[in-house]
Amino acid sequence: MSRSASKSHADKRASVQVASPSQDLPVEVVPGRLTQTQWEDMLRLEDTDDVVGEIMEELVGNVMERCLKTYIHKQLVAFSVSWAKGFLVQALELQFLYRDEGDGPAEASSDTEDSEPMTPSDASHAEEDGGVSANGKRTKSSSNDDGDAVLRPVKLSRKDLYKPPTVEELNQLKEAESLFHCSLLKMQMEELLKEVALSGRRKQQIDSFVQTVTKALQSVPSSPKVELGDLSWLTGSAKVPFILVPAECAGKFHMAPPASVDLVGSYPLGTCVKPRITVDLAVTIPAEVLQVKDDMNQRYPRKRALYLAGLAQHLSSSPEVGSMRYSCLHGNRLRPLLLLTPSESSNFTLRLHACLPPGYFKPSRFHPQRNNIRTKWYTGLESSDPESPEPPTPHYNSSVLGDMLPRAHLQFLSAVSSQCPAFAHGVALIKVWLRQRELDQGAGCFNGFLASMTLAYLLSTHRVSNTMTAYQLLRNSLHFLANTDLTENGITLAKNPDSTAPSLPDFQKAFQVVFVDPSGHLNMCADMTACTYKQVQHEASLSMQFWDDATVSGFHALLMTPKPLARTSDHIFQLLELVKLQASCKKLNLLSELMDHSGNYVHTVLPYILSLLQQGLGQRIHLLTHSLTPDPEWSVEAEPPKHKTQPPLSFGLILRPEYAASALERGPPADSPKAAEFRQLWGPRSELRRFQDGAITEAVLWTGETVCEKRMVPRQIITHLLQLHADIPESCVRYVGAMMDDVINVSHDVLSTGEEDSLKLVQSYDDLSRKLWRLEGLPLSITSVQGAHPALRYTQVFPPKPLMMDYSFFDKEKSSRSLLPKEGKPCPAYITPVTVVCHMEGSGKWPHDRVAIRHIKAAFHINLGELLNKEHSYTCRPCPTHLDVWKDGFAFRIHVAYHREPQVLRESLTPDGLLVVRDNEAAQALEVATVHRPLLTSTLHGIQQQHPCFGAVCRLAKRWLGAQLLSDDIREDAADLLVASLFLHPAPFTPPSSPQVGFLRFLRLLSSFDWRNNPLVVNLNNTLTGADYTDTKNDFVANRDSLPVMFIATPSDKKLSLWTKHTPSIQMLQRAVMVAAESLKVLEPQLKDGNQIQDVKVAMRPPLEAYDVLIHLMPKQVPLIHQAVDPLVVVFSRGVMAGKAGNPGEIMPVIDYNPVSLFLAELRDSFGDLALFFCDPYGGTVIAVLWKPKAFKPVPFKTSEINARRVEVSGERAHTVPNVEAIVEDFRVMGKDLVKSVEARTERWSF
Amino acid sequence: MAPSEKSRGGEAVVIPGGFAVLSLQFSADSGSQHKLYVKEHRVRVETRTHRPLDRTLFLLNVPPYCSQSTLSHIFSRFGAVVSVELSDRPGSAPAPEVKLSPLFKPAGKQGFKVGYVVFRRAKSIRLAKSHPHNVPLLVSTEQRLVTTGLQKWAQQYRQAIVSPEELQQSVDAFMLQYDQRKEEQAKEQEKEAEEQKEDEEGWVKVTRASKGTKARPHSEAANQKAIQKETRKKKRKELMNFYTWQHRNTQKEHIADLRKKFEEDKQRISLLRAQRKFRPY
Repeated sequence: MSRSASKSHADKRASVQVASPSQDLPVEVVPGRLTQTQWEDMLRLEDTDDVVGEIMEELVGNVMERCLKTYIHKQLVAFSVSWAKGFLVQALELQFLYRDEGDGPAEASSDTEDSEPMTPSDASHAEEDGGVSANGKRTKSSSNDDGDAVLRPVKLSRKDLYKPPTVEELNQLKEAESLFHCSLLKMQMEELLKEVALSGRRKQQIDSFVQTVTKALQSVPSSPKVELGDLSWLTGSAKVPFILVPAECAGKFHMAPPASVDLVGSYPLGTCVKPRITVDLAVTIPAEVLQVKDDMNQRYPRKRALYLAGLAQHLSSSPEVGSMRYSCLHGNRLRPLLLLTPSESSNFTLRLHACLPPGYFKPSRFHPQRNNIRTKWYTGLESSDPESPEPPTPHYNSSVLGDMLPRAHLQFLSAVSSQCPAFAHGVALIKVWLRQRELDQGAGCFNGFLASMTLAYLLSTHRVSNTMTAYQLLRNSLHFLANTDLTENGITLAKNPDSTAPSLPDFQKAFQVVFVDPSGHLNMCADMTACTYKQVQHEASLSMQFWDDATVSGFHALLMTPKPLARTSDHIFQLLELVKLQASCKKLNLLSELMDHSGNYVHTVLPYILSLLQQGLGQRIHLLTHSLTPDPEWSVEAEPPKHKTQPPLSFGLILRPEYAASALERGPPADSPKAAEFRQLWGPRSELRRFQDGAITEAVLWTGETVCEKRMVPRQIITHLLQLHADIPESCVRYVGAMMDDVINVSHDVLSTGEEDSLKLVQSYDDLSRKLWRLEGLPLSITSVQGAHPALRYTQVFPPKPLMMDYSFFDKEKSSRSLLPKEGKPCPAYITPVTVVCHMEGSGKWPHDRVAIRHIKAAFHINLGELLNKEHSYTCRPCPTHLDVWKDGFAFRIHVAYHREPQVLRESLTPDGLLVVRDNEAAQALEVATVHRPLLTSTLHGIQQQHPCFGAVCRLAKRWLGAQLLSDDIREDAADLLVASLFLHPAPFTPPSSPQVGFLRFLRLLSSFDWRNNPLVVNLNNTLTGADYTDTKNDFVANRDSLPVMFIATPSDKKLSLWTKHTPSIQMLQRAVMVAAESLKVLEPQLKDGNQIQDVKVAMRPPLEAYDVLIHLMPKQVPLIHQAVDPLVVVFSRGVMAGKAGNPGEIMPVIDYNPVSLFLAELRDSFGDLALFFCDPYGGTVIAVLWKPKAFKPVPFKTSEINARRVEVSGERAHTVPNVEAIVEDFRVMGKDLVKSVEARTERWSF
Repeated sequence: MAPSEKSRGGEAVVIPGGFAVLSLQFSADSGSQHKLYVKEHRVRVETRTHRPLDRTLFLLNVPPYCSQSTLSHIFSRFGAVVSVELSDRPGSAPAPEVKLSPLFKPAGKQGFKVGYVVFRRAKSIRLAKSHPHNVPLLVSTEQRLVTTGLQKWAQQYRQAIVSPEELQQSVDAFMLQYDQRKEEQAKEQEKEAEEQKEDEEGWVKVTRASKGTKARPHSEAANQKAIQKETRKKKRKELMNFYTWQHRNTQKEHIADLRKKFEEDKQRISLLRAQRKFRPY
């Protein structure tokens, strides 16, 4: 019952909080819902009708109301009791159902949502279920097993809907609506908090382990005093967790039992969250071990390390401690830690910090401007200039000072959190938020401690109130972080610091990010780089942007989506061989900083490199981020790892698409004072250039001809700057920006990904469309010319190229001047017909008959062809269904359309003369071809104009789908829409600005989207509002069973999902989801880690083991063979000549002739009900065949189900089974000259 | 030919349902066979004259590479063949209303088909049905090669090309026909309208002509529009939020709406919880 008690407590709190006026969130009035005043009106049941003429009516109404009120009043008690009973029962059920922490078998119970009584069969089923899972860890509620993974429309009885509301219920509804834009979000957050909170059992485990360790620590034996450098007292295998450079160090040391052992950090505060539970234990070094001058020259840090080694040696004999490792606090090697776990498998770690006794040193000795490490001691050399002051050592100072304060910080935070009930939950939410963005771990991170301190700052400055909920705390913290730049204006928690405390400008001078602790002496963000803080700010402002957007699932974007570097940044690069950074230290002249960081050259150089790159990349980037080096961990028996062994540093760039790819860096005019600075930055690459506007300025010109090369300009800049200023050779920079581009590379000699070809085609199309408009002499005028082909929106995987044909390669058809494929030669080059839809004006002359319309359209095709030939001498060939035009080496296929034709197709006459309109397949198909596809093409063309890499991402995605043999299931238009959704709804990311990151996000979308329960809404042109979204979703839930498996809604198509109506099937979607997840798993490590095998094409080679029959094709007859993922070395002549295409009077070439697709169509027509056929449309030489699961089941003899089957007679009954030998033979017969071999994997077949 | 087959001891196989099984092999060197299931064509009422009941052989499972001419050639061994008809499924296809030129016929499916072979003599059917099972019929022989694969596709490509003149001719021919038909219809309607007029003495002649030939077909949409108009009119006349009970009702609706939303959210949550969707990592 404890749970329901706590719940009612929470309710009370919530209702108190509703009453408090100090919310800084406005009361959201969602359209269609009631405002506060309306609610109150309703409560009082007062009628404020002021219709003057109806006073009488009102009076009667009032009387009646009074009556009703008394009536309700009488019933209220009974009603409340029954409601409360219902609620308790429900709470109880909830407890049984969902408090499954993994301990023992979960009790099964009936569904809580339906108030229906459990049927006997259900109950027995539930029991069975519970029994089976007794040994397992988790059980779902029994009735949820099969059907319930799908949302069903809620059915409430009339009685339930219209029962009189209770005050409590009204409160509940009201709170849910006014505080959050939907109650869903509130509930989601509550659930999330439940997931990350520590269970009572876990806490018990932790407490008992802490007790054991504390007891063990109290009994550390003392040892005799020795010199600091003398390690002979360490007799065990434990090593000192400290890099002893320089080796010499004065001072004395001896082991002694700790002065005290206390819990500090997040665990006692209650802000500890799963996973990676760490419990911090501060072990205070007794004062007698220390000496007054210990703060100098790393003496104290060394003593601390020795003390830890002593503890480790002592604990290694203790049986309770399972494993012991060393680590260090946030990557700071001066602050080692000892990690303890009770056993290898336990999922929490105890971190032992060795600490100073509080107030042992005067904090003023650690002023950021003070020096505590002498150059003479550190370098071993006499300073050349004894007069010069010693350089300040702020980082060293704060690392020592940090050890004096953990207890004080804990006290401060406990005081704050006791004031604010939701503090722990708020911090937990921020921690989850940080973790999803990979900001909470490693050197210079924004850790959970800082999160607590930020919240404490907001509370102490009254920016948030104590009564706020966790949701509001998170929201306000993000708002604060987004709008406060700690790199410019630091903040302090110190109320009235003592006179010796440094001022904020002092801190600002020494550190990049400043957030001063309550004592006023310590900068808690000492190790953080400005870039990391900028990243936090960027993330926070991004989160605020989509928080209130009703069209985005805020909860998912905010707290549930991980944002790894590779998927967040457009380009990433790594610095390998960190040893080289030593040289950069020298080059950048950073000796004193190196001393401050005690020899950690990586952390020393990092800020300088970052600011250098920031300066060089300038407005090309939105943000420069870097990975936070994870805390090293090493065994107690091993020497501490060297600095160079840390994993490579990764950097991420978020590009500004409009500037990122420009090849020119224009500097200041030659005579301006800034010119020198510019020259200094760019070195020899800077040249004086004269521009068209007459200005003579400094400029740097980067190389890059094609779009694909220009995308890599940032790489040139980065390698140049690093080489020039930091002595980091190009070989150490592993730049990952265009890893995937190779797959859609269109030619062998130039590095190009086809943007140029697309552009040429679009220009040629524009010209054609203009010429069509201007045609004179048509019986009806043209009302619109629209492209309806992926190539016209830049998303064709391999855009068509202008071609010139070699006539000798072909047969000729004399009468219509056309080329024909010649027997015995390789298949001619494939020419893609680019579809253009040409709408003709409506007129009474159009017949009202479907067949006649087809004939009239044919007549238009002839007419258009004649005119185009006469006026522009294009080669044209009319057909009944279209007109082919050969222009500039491209083939355009013009379809004439009449806007009323779908309507005519829908109409039919019943025998008694009633005109009925019925939707049918033919009409829909025609509408898709003539209305929807042109519209989609122009809309997506618009997206390409806004986001230059949209096309490239689409093409990568479609190339992948093709290679994985999925392109017949997720069709081109659907794939383009999926990619468009990445650009239009990027939350929680920014729109992708490189093909690589876009492709990764495409894979992630495909694999992680919940296709079963959610429609994917693609808000093209931003026309849908939040209400539309809700409508679409409700429609979707209500009709889920009859809707396509993969549902994509667009503004023009909210209910049907036109583009995924027929495909994919549920099995194929599942396969796509699985393959996408696998590909992502293969690709991401490759991007992250340079040691992996670098072959992105792995993700493009489908495993063929799963298929039953493989039909291998002759490469000679596969016209698109050069587009294959692994192209052949042999190149076949396909009748194409070099030279300028588009000469007038050319003969019509062979258009749209692809034996592979013809073969596939024939196979599917003949055997489609027995097997599935897969093929990579881009140069695949294998057709994979998969028997349908039920194909081999014998079925009774029926004349309608006899195709390709063989009869087996047993007694009086005849059954049919597929005639497999004949079918396999047919594969060969039907694909004569195209099929090389048929590989039947009979061992896989199961009959 | 016949004696040699008999000497091999072949026997006709008849399966339940009355179908005889014939083996069909693509060419002499292919290793496996399709089975044709043949039976005399028998339906209760045959309205069409081109499938005479006693002389028509009904075939099932005709492979895609067998065209009409191929089949006619194969079955000519049992007697002279008058015509061969292929279709996707058994039964009679609806007769086309107008004659279309082959250019405008919609492309059919290329799969397995059923066939109707009409012989000149009824005897041929018996012969065919008693053809021994283990003597396969050959589709492609040296004398009559059946093209498949690349060759066939190249042929198809060639055939799809029409000269504009030819196309124009067939369009013109059709439109001429179409216009004539329309004219006839118009005349008929005129005639009917004429008949329905009063004659000089004020008499109207009532005929049994069907309603379909009225001047303009009445449509379903128009009917519905009329109904909608009526209801809209009614609604406009009604006053909303005028009486207290109306006002109270709208408020009640609001609460019900909110409740419904709340329940929906609750359901969604419980579903997500069941799927463990709240694990952030």
